Amino acid sequence: MKSLGPSLSAAVAVCAALLPAPAFANGKPASLAPVPNFVEEAEAAGIDHVYDGAWEFFVGGGTAIFDCDGDRRPDIFAAGGKNPAKLYRNESPTGGQLNFALTDSGMSEKQAQNVLGAYPVDFNNDGVIDLAVLRLGENLLLEGKGECRFEVANRALGFDGGREWSTAFSATFEPDMAFPTLAFGNYVDRSAPGSPWGTCHDNFLFRPQTGEDGKVSYPEPTRLSPGYCALSMLFTDWNRSGEAALRISNDRQYYRGGEEQLWAVPPGRAPRPYRKSDGWQHLKIWGMGIASIDLDVDGFPEYALTSMGDTKLQKLDSEADETLPIYQDIAFDLGVTAHRPYAGDDLKPSTGWHSEFQDVNNDGLWDLFIAKGNVEAMPDFAAYDPDNLLLGQWEGKFAEVGDTAGVALDRRGRGAGLADFNADGLLDLVVVNRGANVSLFRNTGRGTADKPKQLGNWLAVEVRQPGRANDRAVGARISVKTGNRTVVKDIQVGAGHASGQLGFVHFGLGVAERANVRIKWPDGDWSHSYRVFANGHVIIERDAAKAKLWYPAPASD
Amino acid sequence: MRRLAALTGLILAASLLAPLPVRAADTLPPWSENALREDVDIDALAASDEDPIEVLRPIGEELFKAKFTTLDGAGRPDATRAIVPTKARRRPSQVFQRLAGMDANGCSSCHNEPVIGGAGAFTANVFVSEGFESADFDTTDPQFSNERNTVAVQGAGLIELLGREMTTDLRRQRGDVLASARASGKPETIDLETKGVSFGSLTAYPDGTLDVSALDGVDDDLTIRPFSQKGVFASLRQFTVNAMNDHHGMQALERFGADWTGTADFDADDHGDEVSTGQISALVAFQATLPAPTRKAELPDIWQKAAEDGERLFSSIGCAACHRPALPLESLVFHDPGPFDTAGTLRQSDVDRTLALDLGTLAWVKALPRDDKGRVLVPLFGDLKRHTIADAANDTFGNELLAQRFVARDVFLTSELWGIGSTAPYGHRGDLTTLNEAILAHGGEGTDSRKAYAALSEDDQQAVIAFLRSLEIAE
Repeated sequence: MKSLGPSLSAAVAVCAALLPAPAFANGKPASLAPVPNFVEEAEAAGIDHVYDGAWEFFVGGGTAIFDCDGDRRPDIFAAGGKNPAKLYRNESPTGGQLNFALTDSGMSEKQAQNVLGAYPVDFNNDGVIDLAVLRLGENLLLEGKGECRFEVANRALGFDGGREWSTAFSATFEPDMAFPTLAFGNYVDRSAPGSPWGTCHDNFLFRPQTGEDGKVSYPEPTRLSPGYCALSMLFTDWNRSGEAALRISNDRQYYRGGEEQLWAVPPGRAPRPYRKSDGWQHLKIWGMGIASIDLDVDGFPEYALTSMGDTKLQKLDSEADETLPIYQDIAFDLGVTAHRPYAGDDLKPSTGWHSEFQDVNNDGLWDLFIAKGNVEAMPDFAAYDPDNLLLGQWEGKFAEVGDTAGVALDRRGRGAGLADFNADGLLDLVVVNRGANVSLFRNTGRGTADKPKQLGNWLAVEVRQPGRANDRAVGARISVKTGNRTVVKDIQVGAGHASGQLGFVHFGLGVAERANVRIKWPDGDWSHSYRVFANGHVIIERDAAKAKLWYPAPASD
Repeated sequence: MRRLAALTGLILAASLLAPLPVRAADTLPPWSENALREDVDIDALAASDEDPIEVLRPIGEELFKAKFTTLDGAGRPDATRAIVPTKARRRPSQVFQRLAGMDANGCSSCHNEPVIGGAGAFTANVFVSEGFESADFDTTDPQFSNERNTVAVQGAGLIELLGREMTTDLRRQRGDVLASARASGKPETIDLETKGVSFGSLTAYPDGTLDVSALDGVDDDLTIRPFSQKGVFASLRQFTVNAMNDHHGMQALERFGADWTGTADFDADDHGDEVSTGQISALVAFQATLPAPTRKAELPDIWQKAAEDGERLFSSIGCAACHRPALPLESLVFHDPGPFDTAGTLRQSDVDRTLALDLGTLAWVKALPRDDKGRVLVPLFGDLKRHTIADAANDTFGNELLAQRFVARDVFLTSELWGIGSTAPYGHRGDLTTLNEAILAHGGEGTDSRKAYAALSEDDQQAVIAFLRSLEIAE
């Protein structure tokens, strides 16, 4: 009964109605935001794949999530370490259980081995997504040929894949460049004297060059020296300048005198690291994964950096000159330090890897996923270290729901990705685990495996620039306005832990049934406002008057 | 309480098995100023054998007539009227405010001509706009708001059922053309039509993409939204949740509750979860079962003859192209919640079982004509489609500056003319005092008919008026 009584009884009833939900559940802040129910079904979905191997594969274990066969459904490429990388074609019925079929990517057995991660990128602008594959040994640029087949394009592009131990990647399209600029992050130089301590390899920056014959190639890379054992990197417009800089998260385990890095990459000029004199603050962490989102929509992205122990959440210092890269850590204030397991009895620090901001409950608030897992058997760190699912709350903080959401498995997570594999508007989750099968979670919303139920309204946006370089609009910003509220997300290639995605960008709309979408194109031009309805997929092509819609084939097809 | 007494048998029988569907405030004294006195557990009701119309309608009627008070949670000091929960930038200095609201504390304070649920006079106009951040609108300057006359709700249950069937039909056609393009490997185009009303065309491509640029009179998601003068609300439920907040500051749990706002008291008036899903269902049931408008009975011969002539002329000069005399309805079962609502309005996926209100059990529905397929012919004089209704030469109906919910300023849903004889003044602003003025105000797609009407003789024009004046909401 509601507050129906007058006087004292009314007051009592009103007070009861206003009591907040329990502030804490199991010793951690409870979520007022609805908690989605994830159901693990990798085996039933046909995914049988383990990332494993010796010391070199303690790191890595990435996954690329992208459409390899032109049906607009996200497929999965998963690194295997000593095991061959595998490509799974998405055959999930719309709204149904997840289902994947192992498919031949065209990689040779040798090429598929020693893979640590991969990022999708359409480097040749043919509309078919290509792959940058990180390996222990020669990195590969795989040109997508359609039907989930790939051909190694290293030679055709004059790309030297090197012999390094590559663990990070990011790509950006610099102004007037037809092909992307590629950054490869490298880990320990095992051949250096004294390895592994203090022997981090330089990172490489490949810039495209167009020859007189019009052919594009990647000549000798620029060395980003010193390297500090990069485990994640991201081209990001951190200062709203329109020019992407390269942020690198580094593993302090092996560097000496190292730190987190930010490189200015001015077009046509040599890259230059930001230094203390530029305002860059010295920060040493076991940097494993970057996640970036503009939480407060001020144009300056925030960065979640996973590590051993505390996750950092960096926000540009509001009291400092905004032209300087001076960050403050707001992880504690917002409740995302995720420094030790939230479940189980192990109180040792946890080990974070892939991180990603998405909206898993479609309430319009960003959530943060962090893959967790002991490096191998490090005794000072938690052995049972479940992945985090931190749900954004309306008061601005985050609440851990990994256990109640069903993602707290006893596995050593590494790379991961959230994508809507069955096109039902709820983001599913894939986690590549070290020494165990990939975890594949279907998001059943408020329901169960048998009867999924929607949460909030949602919108999936694909952005294209037909007939131009950078067809997939890497560097574009998608702005989604509902009522008076705006959320933004950038189209980026990089970040996470050895894992990337390209395809529909997902937005939760909460209770809004329509939205205004604007695109800030990579060259800085803004689109007009596209009026779209909730709970569907839209495709916005540059200069198009109206968004196209996309409908997945119904489950019965 | 009355309902409780009526249900005693049911409750006694079911009490061991299920929670009580109706709960009454047994602590309230008879003189209580609370308007919310009863609540309904719709899950228990849906699971029971009780007729939901019988249970919900009287509660809904009481709520529709109620004058909500601060004891109920009326007022929204920290929230705007916006459909998406939106915090006010600053608190209004007054609880009531004619522009940004809250502008009424009861549904029937506007919907009351000629009976409860009916239309409103110009004095009952409201001001609509999206995304109001604050209550600082102290002007009727149209650049800040659109002024709207109150429309009648009578017959709305049948209207929503027509809309649902049309939406289902249009979406089936969309699925067909997508499947066709996938199968043929080439683009395919389909002309959309449902219940004889055309809605433009769709072009589907083999990859599942859809070009919606040639749609006409319907939203890109092919949802018929038959409510509001703009045609922007899909269901009585959605409209009711909006209106309860907008006009009364009564915030429904399903839109403003903690799931979607992080607080039970979004409007910060010290009342949490102000309106339950059951109370919204009761309001929906009352509106959905309000008898449809009819024709005046026992007209004097002179009026009867003129009305018959006028009805023929109404068709012959083209009015009936949009103001269609009737649309056929397949099913009379009104499911609540409905099939096309989205988060923020209770959805079918949010409940185990829907309430099935069989409108076919109502006497006034039984009296409606049926076609040779047994379908009820709903005499709405409308097409549930939006049209451009103003142009440069005749912009009477284009007197607004703001688009509303993606719909351009000179585009409106075809007004259903049933009951028009009881709902003066006319036009979306309620500023036309005669039907003649309203007809002559048509521009845009109504231009040819308006010209044809203008060309009629005085007697023939009067016949059309006689016909329209015979369409009434019975008192």
